[in-house]
Amino acid sequence: MAEEFNVEGMLDMYLFENGQLLEQLQETVLEQKDADCFDEDTINEIFRTMHTIKGSSGIMMFDNVTAISHKLEDVFYYLRESHPQNVVHEALVEHVLQVVDFITGEMDKIQDGSPVDGDPADIIAELDRFLDEIKSGAVKEGKELPKENVNEEPKHFYIAPVANSASHFYKIYITFFPDTDMANVHAYKTVYALKEFAEDLLYEPEDLISDDSSIGTLLEDGFRILLQAQCTEADIRNVIKTGYDIEKVDIYECKAEEFLQGFDFGEHQDHPQIDLKSSVEEIEARAQAEQESEEKKEPEKPKMAPGDFVIQSKSPGKPKKLAKDKPKNEKAAFISVNVQKMDQLMDLIGELVISESLVLQNPDLRVPGLNLANFNKAASEMAKIATDLQNVIMSMRMVPLTNLFQKMNRIVFDVSRKLGKDIEFEMIGEHTEVDKNISEKISDPLMHLVRNAVDHGIETNEERAASNKQEKGKVTLSAKTEAGKVWIIVTDNGKGLDRAKILAKAKKQGLLDPDRAESSYEDKEVFQFITLPGFSTNEQVTEYSGRGVGMDVVVQNIQSIGGTLEIESTAGEGSSMILKIPLTLAIIDGIVMETGTTSFVVETSFIKQFVRVTKDMMIHEPTGEEYVMIRDECYPVLRIGDWYGLEDYHSEVEEGMMLLFEVEGNTICLFVDKLIGKQEIVVKPIPPYIKKVKGISGCTQLGDGSIALILDPAGLID
Amino acid sequence: MSEDREEARLRSVHQEKYMTFRSGNEYFGLKIQYVSEIIPFQAITAIPETEEYIKGLINLRGKILPVIDVRLRFMQDPFDYNDRTCIIIITVRGTMVGLVVEEIAEVVEIEDDNILPPPTIMRGDRVQNKYVYGIGRVGDTVKLLIDPDKLLHDEDSSTAELANDTGEEDEREV
Repeated sequence: MAEEFNVEGMLDMYLFENGQLLEQLQETVLEQKDADCFDEDTINEIFRTMHTIKGSSGIMMFDNVTAISHKLEDVFYYLRESHPQNVVHEALVEHVLQVVDFITGEMDKIQDGSPVDGDPADIIAELDRFLDEIKSGAVKEGKELPKENVNEEPKHFYIAPVANSASHFYKIYITFFPDTDMANVHAYKTVYALKEFAEDLLYEPEDLISDDSSIGTLLEDGFRILLQAQCTEADIRNVIKTGYDIEKVDIYECKAEEFLQGFDFGEHQDHPQIDLKSSVEEIEARAQAEQESEEKKEPEKPKMAPGDFVIQSKSPGKPKKLAKDKPKNEKAAFISVNVQKMDQLMDLIGELVISESLVLQNPDLRVPGLNLANFNKAASEMAKIATDLQNVIMSMRMVPLTNLFQKMNRIVFDVSRKLGKDIEFEMIGEHTEVDKNISEKISDPLMHLVRNAVDHGIETNEERAASNKQEKGKVTLSAKTEAGKVWIIVTDNGKGLDRAKILAKAKKQGLLDPDRAESSYEDKEVFQFITLPGFSTNEQVTEYSGRGVGMDVVVQNIQSIGGTLEIESTAGEGSSMILKIPLTLAIIDGIVMETGTTSFVVETSFIKQFVRVTKDMMIHEPTGEEYVMIRDECYPVLRIGDWYGLEDYHSEVEEGMMLLFEVEGNTICLFVDKLIGKQEIVVKPIPPYIKKVKGISGCTQLGDGSIALILDPAGLID
Repeated sequence: MSEDREEARLRSVHQEKYMTFRSGNEYFGLKIQYVSEIIPFQAITAIPETEEYIKGLINLRGKILPVIDVRLRFMQDPFDYNDRTCIIIITVRGTMVGLVVEEIAEVVEIEDDNILPPPTIMRGDRVQNKYVYGIGRVGDTVKLLIDPDKLLHDEDSSTAELANDTGEEDEREV
């Protein structure tokens, strides 16, 4: 694994950084999707992001990504420079997201090692059309169009006022051998080498990597560099050595004024500039000032676009720098760790917890008359550290739901647009943390619920108007921690579930108990029908829902991680889907009990109470079913020994213990021989070789090294 | 440099080591590379509602492994576990499983020439035959050579398939 990282280091970095950039970009765009237009900061941010992606993709030779990001950069360049008033904001948002999707798609391909073959032509054409529209609008309004932001076209440059007396100015002319391959790459290397000590640096042709025609120019006209640095000619020669590629290097020292005039060749007015000391903002601010003063002096000069070619020195386009531009999204220092190593650490800590209890509960310690005072003191100290360790590793695996929620934001946006619904999306508590595994596993179910809310939950605009609903359609996604579980709630203020319709459909599918009056079904029960396979009341199958697969899969997925789904709904006012999922899968608080010779564990949170019962509390039905009356309530009894056909278990109720469970609104009584105690247990899967046993979700190792089976109450109820 | 090694390699093609154990009245052989270790018998946690021959789970230094009773798997009568009872831990294609056997015998080398195809005459005894891909002769005794993959996984393959499968056996193992 480590080797792979080294070899692929650059690619990994590319994927990681651009992935982050895109994520952040999407977040920013979605934040402002409902505004009338992007604010200036956002436009600049998108512009810079695209510029960075363009640059790094160029280096990595992902041409399609380079092309598309360049195109979007063009659009934002135009927006930034000419502030057109006629931009259809929604269309713009859509375009940006399209580009983000495309690049993300390509990056996924890179990650999978498949060829990066996406064709951006359509999107580019669309962007062109879009840009033309804005421009033609601008012409109509009589505005002067700014210069096009075209790669091939050199830009005006100005000099960053960072020179001091120690600085020298050089003009460097590099001549390549006419048969040099990839002269542009050599030139690029030179530029990067010079940046090490350059205070200011300009060069021509300026677009070395993404524009192949630069090769011809380089070979014909040579490579021209203007350098401001505190170094001697020899230093430069040291960096730029003649060799198999460079035929000749001419270096002339010049005065600052000459330097400011730029290249004395050609009639180009613009050149790229590379500022090495200032931040992007400073440069832009200066550029602005420069631009203003220049406009006064030389009104005939076209507007310049310095920011376009601003590259920060040494770490061109590092996303960290860009991230810093946005203080609200401050990122802590992260390192990425191989998940396998984390799992291994997790396993080891699990083992440690077990061996700890092996030591502390060692039978050898139970010799009567042993003075264990010091031992107990040391032991409790150790237990504390072990618990801390466990908490730390758990928290390391915890990730906030922010990303997941962001994804939902996008879905609401996409689906609502396609369906022509006007929908607001609100997130509450997106910083709630859950285990990484869980976060991954609830992604699909959550996506489905959110889609459902947008698609069936919220009415069309017309329907809303007809039913006199004033406020906008709204989907709220909220998360909170309660009673050791994470609650994720998807709420919409739409029409709510149609009880009558669901009942009718359930009747048609023969799901209703014919002996029961329809009115006797509680709302909760009725709504649970929609989680059954093949149950969809939507007459029309849309792209997003209505096929009747879905809710059952949602429920299955949620159950597979030990979660539950509750549905609440009020006709006409909307509905809520409440997901309750465990914080973590790996370590649970459990009650250990014994039946016959087998130990079982049940997660503590399922258990309502323990009761000792007497014979007269039992009710036997002729069919063999058993009930128990506890404080005037009657509960069905499940004898675990019977259920699993165990041997040597207690059959007299007085000898055993009743556990009251509550699962999914049902309460049952589990009869076991005896309770052993409460323990933190490390959940291990049952080896896959053994086929799944109903009601058993895993196993664990107890303090004495023996194995206990973990009971899954939901499985017992089925 | 490697005439010796070459020779050893050639030899290893011809003969392989087998771990042998007794179950009922027969001795069985298992290619040694499948065997991870042999542990003394330890308490097994029964799992309800599984096949009879799956005795349950054991805890091998923190690893939870399923355990199969070989006698029950071979449809022989169950036997009482005693201090000679052993658990052979085998790894087959990534699956680790313990085999409860009555008695560990020895490790023997059997040359390919001494391995005979399973006797097809015993048509009445197909059920047992399907795990056995060959009969190895060691001196005067014979060992029934077991395909551990079949021992673990197959439920319904017939003896006809088995005849074809034995040829591939060598390719499959790593």
